[in-house]
Amino acid sequence: MTARRFSGRPSWRPNVAGFVTVAICVLAWEMTIQVGIFDYQYLPAPSAIVRGAGELAASGELITATLHTLESVFLGWAVAVAAGISLGLLLGSSPLLRRYSLATIEVLRPMPAIAFVPVALLLFGFSIQTELMVIVLPSLWPVLINTMGGLMEVHARLEEVGRTFRLSRSAILYKVFLPAATPAIMVGVRISLTLAVVLAVLAEMVGNPEGLGYAVVSQQQALRPDLMFVYVVVIGLLGLALNALLVGFVSMSFPAASAEFKGPRS
Amino acid sequence: MKRGELDVFLRLVAAEIPPARGLVPLLVLLTAWQLLAPGPSAYFPAPFEWWSAAVLLWDSGQLLPAFAATVTTFVEGLALAIAIGVGLGIAIGTSRPVERALGPLLEFMRAIPPPVTVPIATLLLGYDVTMKLTVVALSAIWPILLNTSSAAARVEPLLYDIARTFHLSTADWIRKIVIPSIVPFVLLGIRVAIPLAIVVTLLVEMLTSLPGIGALMIQSQRNFQSAQVYALLVIVGLFGFAVNDLFAIIEAIVLQRWPPKAPLRPC
Repeated sequence: MTARRFSGRPSWRPNVAGFVTVAICVLAWEMTIQVGIFDYQYLPAPSAIVRGAGELAASGELITATLHTLESVFLGWAVAVAAGISLGLLLGSSPLLRRYSLATIEVLRPMPAIAFVPVALLLFGFSIQTELMVIVLPSLWPVLINTMGGLMEVHARLEEVGRTFRLSRSAILYKVFLPAATPAIMVGVRISLTLAVVLAVLAEMVGNPEGLGYAVVSQQQALRPDLMFVYVVVIGLLGLALNALLVGFVSMSFPAASAEFKGPRS
Repeated sequence: MKRGELDVFLRLVAAEIPPARGLVPLLVLLTAWQLLAPGPSAYFPAPFEWWSAAVLLWDSGQLLPAFAATVTTFVEGLALAIAIGVGLGIAIGTSRPVERALGPLLEFMRAIPPPVTVPIATLLLGYDVTMKLTVVALSAIWPILLNTSSAAARVEPLLYDIARTFHLSTADWIRKIVIPSIVPFVLLGIRVAIPLAIVVTLLVEMLTSLPGIGALMIQSQRNFQSAQVYALLVIVGLFGFAVNDLFAIIEAIVLQRWPPKAPLRPC
């Protein structure tokens, strides 16, 4: 529970019971397979997965796949954040634009991300562009919606303060609205990062045959469940690590934003 | 339905539909696409061609069974996820030690992107409809389970005292106090789970070629039937939109019946 650290109460204590449960589950898994009570042909023991991890790390495959996935996540996320914030600023500051585009957003937003894979494949073939198209479009929405919402919720009095100081329209946007909306924007940015990881893996599974997502599918087809589980665990850890890095970065650079940063569980 | 209820219902429906003038950018884009498209194109077929491709698909008898298969999996998978997620969530959340003990395990399970469960399930369960359903339910369950359990764990402590004063049985405590206080959070979890369930349903179909819209999409892409790919994209998009709006209406109705109760304790 990272959020507790930001709430001002020093309530962090190690969850011993929780980690013991995890350890017991892993042990039980190992035992059932070693003893052979539960002989699923394609369920590897945790020790086999650890051996597999060593094998993949030594051959360098793990690093190559992870770097490829990281690259697409970062590129796609960066484009989504840049486009989402700019469009969100436009829509958030102009009621006219909002009136004439909200329904379009409402129609496009629930489009399932995966439906873009065949179209992207059609347009770009097996390439990183395919991945980027699949990542950018769906992870744009949380940033856009949160930026727009954040701007709309800024108190009208703040704008009056800006006017009193005779700030120009762009100066009001930059000096008043943007800082006030930062907490909301950061929530969108974080949701979009989590989404980008999932989408990159998805795009690699059915679109571009590279990276961690493709590695999972190809090890499944090669009937190497031990190696497949290595990639599954790495993908899970990658998501957790990126999220933790972003939370740390935001709480350092925008202390005011971190109080509301947790957002809904998603 | 009584007249008053019908009025309320219609108002809820109307509130969920944004004004149509907001569709202008989309219409402009599609019109420009139609006018500028250079006849039949392998990459950007004009919108009218999407329509004829959809009609062709319908006439060939492929569209309806595929759509039915996808919708059935989605609905059944989501229903399973809701039933198990809410049940387990209440069981975990109402007991503090259980919640603490299972917390890290559940958090890690949630961190694994749902699409990855597809290859695992393929290996362990093989290619069939049961596998499809299991995967969809398994991916959709986490947001529902975790929202339910964390809400159930944070029910206002004063209510415990009230329940004890009235000598409520455990069943009554859950039915009369826990469930009414967690409804909004369960709904939030379902809202997050819906797009996941749609994506995973389509993904299973794409990866395993089990019948459904996903299989149809990847098949038309492999045959370079671009108009058909776009037609299916629109159909899937409309389905996502319809499910989203339908759920918003259901959510509004449920919240009217069980309005949010006393605020939960901060976590």
